[in-house]
Order: sequence, then C-alpha cells, then structure tokens
Amino acid sequence: MDDHFDPNEKLYRAIYPPEVAEMFWRKDGTVSSAAFADPKGLSVDRGDHRSDETVVSIMRERFTGRIISLYVKNCVNVGASVKYLPSAHNTYHSEIHGSDTVVLLSKQQRVALSRKAVILAESH
Amino acid sequence: MTIAKQMEVRSNIKKYFDIAFNGDPVIVPRKGNKNVVIISEEEYNSLEQLRREAAYASALSSRRSPEKSPSPDSSDIKSDNLRKLSYIAALKEGWNGNGAPAFDKKLISKVRELLENLSIQPEVFPTALQTIQLEYDNSRRDHMEIEVGLSNTAEIFLVRYDGSESFEQIPADADHINKKAGAFYG
Repeated sequence: MDDHFDPNEKLYRAIYPPEVAEMFWRKDGTVSSAAFADPKGLSVDRGDHRSDETVVSIMRERFTGRIISLYVKNCVNVGASVKYLPSAHNTYHSEIHGSDTVVLLSKQQRVALSRKAVILAESH
Repeated sequence: MTIAKQMEVRSNIKKYFDIAFNGDPVIVPRKGNKNVVIISEEEYNSLEQLRREAAYASALSSRRSPEKSPSPDSSDIKSDNLRKLSYIAALKEGWNGNGAPAFDKKLISKVRELLENLSIQPEVFPTALQTIQLEYDNSRRDHMEIEVGLSNTAEIFLVRYDGSESFEQIPADADHINKKAGAFYG
C-alpha cells in the first residue's frame, strides 16, 4: 500500500460510541452527518480491495459498534482528501480531511458523505 | 442500459459484471417475464438509500396528517430527545475514539432548555466539535441542521431537495429556532 487511492477503493468507518448504538442513527435509518465531524481527522480503515467480510472481521477485533463504508470517489467528488496514515497498530489506518490543507470536513461534505455511507455491520 | 440473453450472460459473466459495475444496468429477460437486472453494488446502495428516504418522507407526511395514521405524540419525541441528551451528557472524554472532549454541562443545560421549548422536535446528535446538532427533514426532502454550541448564535445549514444549500446564523434561542422550523415545514 502507498499514498495512492483507487477511486473504487472502499473506506470503513467505525461509528463511536459503540455502547450507544443509536447515537448517530436517524429515524430514516441513515447515519447523521454529525458523525463525520472530527477536528483531528476522520479515521477510517482503507479497504485495499479486501472483501467487506475480511475488513469487518478484523475491525471487530477492536470495535463492537456499527461499521459503515464509503468509496474513495465519494470523498473525491466533494473535494475531500483521503490520506494514508498507517499506525503501529493498524497498517490500514487512513483519514478523510476536508482538503489537503484543512482537516475538518465542511458541513456540505459531511452531509454528502453521510448520504453515501452504507451500513455494513450492526453493533455486536 | 444493456439487454442480454441468459445464455449470453452465462457465457460472458465477467463482461456483463463489468458493464454493470461501470454504471450500465444489464437486463436479462427470462421466460414468464421473470426478468432480472444486474447492477453494481454502488447503484444498489443508492437505490436502497432512496427507498429508505422515500419511506421516511412517507412517514413524515403521515405524521403531519393526523387523520391518516396514529403517530408518536410530540411529547413522546421530546421525552426521547431528552433521554438522548442525557446519554450525550454522560459521554466521557474520548467518546468518539479520537479524543473528543466530554460535553460542557452548560451546553447540555442550554440544549435541554431548547428542547423543552421547541414546538417541533428535531433529531438530536452530538458532534466532536463540542456542539450538538439538531436535524429536521420535511416531506419535500429538504434537510436542515442547526448546530448549537456555547456561543449565543446557532448556525443553520439548509440543503434543499434540489441540492441548493444555504447557511445562516441565528440567535440560539427557542423562539428563533421555532420560527425557522415552522417555516421549514410550512
């Protein structure tokens, strides 16, 4: 893996807090844009073209809440920047930023991405 | 849109999967009109999203027409919102998995007072920005977010059904939010 992201690569986001599963879920079953506001960068796991089942099973080792997915192209289409930032504990760790120079996603970007998000796994 | 016979699809499955993946649905006619359509996962997800939104818009519409079907009383929604606010108040530092601070008690009190006095109850969500987001959706599929923090103003972000967007700052009190919510549903 390197800094290049294929537009069709998936990104996986664990929705915290796992102990209150409904915290970010709207009555229509979609996730609130509020879940996409993070001034430190929106953490995701890059898919690197692994299967959903593989990614979810690995994320389940450290997280019990709901997991959503997006495509890299969803981020690019709203001007957001996806950065590959592997950590010692997670080689797939990446972040979605508002742009190359701004970390926080704008309100427009948050709403647009929340509408593209797909729930992949319910809380355990 | 591509139409392909079942035998043709069977013999060239990758070709037709690629066509569907690239955004062109593939219709496979079958005997007895038992036709199937092959679409990409992204297209399927978009359709699912539209289906959920349509169901939600329908539910909202019936909620605003008491003669159609029973719906939760606004006092029930208020109770649910106040209960959720208590969950938000209990969130500890780092609740978002990335160092978000716990919520200031003054903000919780302020939002509790707002919820007590809002005539149309929103959906309530915390943010990692030390703000609480109130969301409204109407049957036209417009979406309005009101972000409330400790400052005296609240920020409204409105996304209309046609995709147009607008921002506005208003005083963060129940009177002003009630007026905006009333106009939103009017």
